[in-house]
Amino acid sequence: MNHIEHIKSFLITEFLPGVQASELTTEYDLLTNGVVDSLGLLKLIAWVESEFQVTVNDAALDPDNFRTVDAINAFVARASHPVKAG
Amino acid sequence: MSFARQVDARPDATALVAKGRLISYGELGDLVATASARLDGLDTTGREPIAVSATKTPHTIAMVLACLKARLPVVLPPATLPEATLQRLVDKARCRHLLDADGTGPARAGTTPAPGVPGNPDDVAFILTTSGSTGIPKLVPLSAGAVERFADWAAGQFDLGPGASVLNHAPLNFDLCLLDVWATLHHGGQVVLVDPDAATNGRYLIDAIDDNAVTVVQAVPMAHQLMVDAACDADRQLTSVRHLIFTGDHLPARCLTRLPGVFPASRFYNIYGCTETNDSFMHEVDRGALPLDGVPLGTPLPGVDAVVLDDDGNEITGPGQGELVVATPFQSAGYLGADPAAPNPFVPAPAGRPPGISDRYYRTGDVVRRDGDGLLYLEGRNDFQVKVRGTRLNIAVVEQVLLDHDQVAEAVVLAVPDPVAGHLLHVVLRRVPGATVNTLALRQHCARHLPTAAIPSTLRLSEDPLPRTSTGKVDRQSLTQILRSPQSEATVARKEPAR
Repeated sequence: MNHIEHIKSFLITEFLPGVQASELTTEYDLLTNGVVDSLGLLKLIAWVESEFQVTVNDAALDPDNFRTVDAINAFVARASHPVKAG
Repeated sequence: MSFARQVDARPDATALVAKGRLISYGELGDLVATASARLDGLDTTGREPIAVSATKTPHTIAMVLACLKARLPVVLPPATLPEATLQRLVDKARCRHLLDADGTGPARAGTTPAPGVPGNPDDVAFILTTSGSTGIPKLVPLSAGAVERFADWAAGQFDLGPGASVLNHAPLNFDLCLLDVWATLHHGGQVVLVDPDAATNGRYLIDAIDDNAVTVVQAVPMAHQLMVDAACDADRQLTSVRHLIFTGDHLPARCLTRLPGVFPASRFYNIYGCTETNDSFMHEVDRGALPLDGVPLGTPLPGVDAVVLDDDGNEITGPGQGELVVATPFQSAGYLGADPAAPNPFVPAPAGRPPGISDRYYRTGDVVRRDGDGLLYLEGRNDFQVKVRGTRLNIAVVEQVLLDHDQVAEAVVLAVPDPVAGHLLHVVLRRVPGATVNTLALRQHCARHLPTAAIPSTLRLSEDPLPRTSTGKVDRQSLTQILRSPQSEATVARKEPAR
């Protein structure tokens, strides 16, 4: 399932007032460019957990999972449909 | 030399160009005689300062010259000052007479006449105003000797004598006019008065330069940018200019790179000074090797002593960063009517200075960096230092980075206190016409040049020029209020069209 527009909408409302969804490319680096700082990252993770009913465990706290809209979308997809070990 | 000598020696030479009209030294001398007669009709026995509204007209200039001749201190309240502020300013300066704009109406009295200027009133020539952090401007008295020493230096440095044509861009109440207007009239050049209503019209400015064969241009970087843009748009060169001075702010690299093409016969100078000390540093820019990473403040002017002090007040002699403290032959003795509870930036000579230079130094509040070659660079105001998430930042540096982007015309960084982060940085900026850059790309620009903590939390685009105070600086207070008011935010942060 594709949550890209939903994720973008949250990021814009929370961190990028005035920016159009079409301007925010899915590979834009949210961390390096200061959109999401360390406090913002906690807020973003809390939102991902409650919005998509997933648990972000310590191993998944790697900031790279939240670096871009693509990365967040991929993380949500993985966390929602965990690949079971054979 | 003096103005009166110019009137006697060269009555037919042009003194002023005002709205296209030429006024000779002889004619201006007649206007001064009329103004003097008017002064004679006033009770000036208390030697109180005379307030002359700083409307930029030959009559105002004549009235100021008449005051100087009568050795009466003159205050030039900005012509745009609200009535209530004007009254408080006139009261603070203890003016007994407030003369109206064109020098024809009746004098108005201040509400607290007498007991006059503290110190030696005969010695004060100009009382300049400088924007205070709150409310009414500070009053900066300059002695006749300080003004004359400065005029002599400026006239020698920039050839302000007969044959010179000097553009006066700044409003008459600005300290820059000591060079443009008063030094020039003392030394025999002609002053080309820029109409304040047209001061931001680049095309008007370059026409004024061409029409009057202007040889000297002194202005703030914003004005140079306007002129350069207008000249490049019209594919014009301004060949008459010999000395071009930028002062008061950081000159954006995109302006600097185009100066040599637009002004092919000019030398370029960066001048640093404060109203309290007048000019203190100068750097001549080598047109063949433009300092694109920042123009140095340069070297102290003759007679100027400067030291860099660290946070503990110790002198930094090698490379390093600290507050610039100066003493100049042109400086004020101290504020008039200063709040005794406010910190006084006029201080005794720092320890270790050679005796005999000056017993009074001025803490500029400007943070400078001295590089390995001993050159000083302006880093920002020390009151612009804030902490964001524990990292100490200078918001002037952030502004400078934004202004260095070639599609940014104006930018202001506001540090808003935040209970968690200490401060958060908010940016309001205006792009150049036709710009395509958006706020996300500007974030990337900041990220390339600044530490992460210095990347602004929000960037807002303004379609309109940023509001400025009466002294031409960006009005941070009103912008902060706009930022805090959600309703008016939309007018500042008009949304970008979707692409």
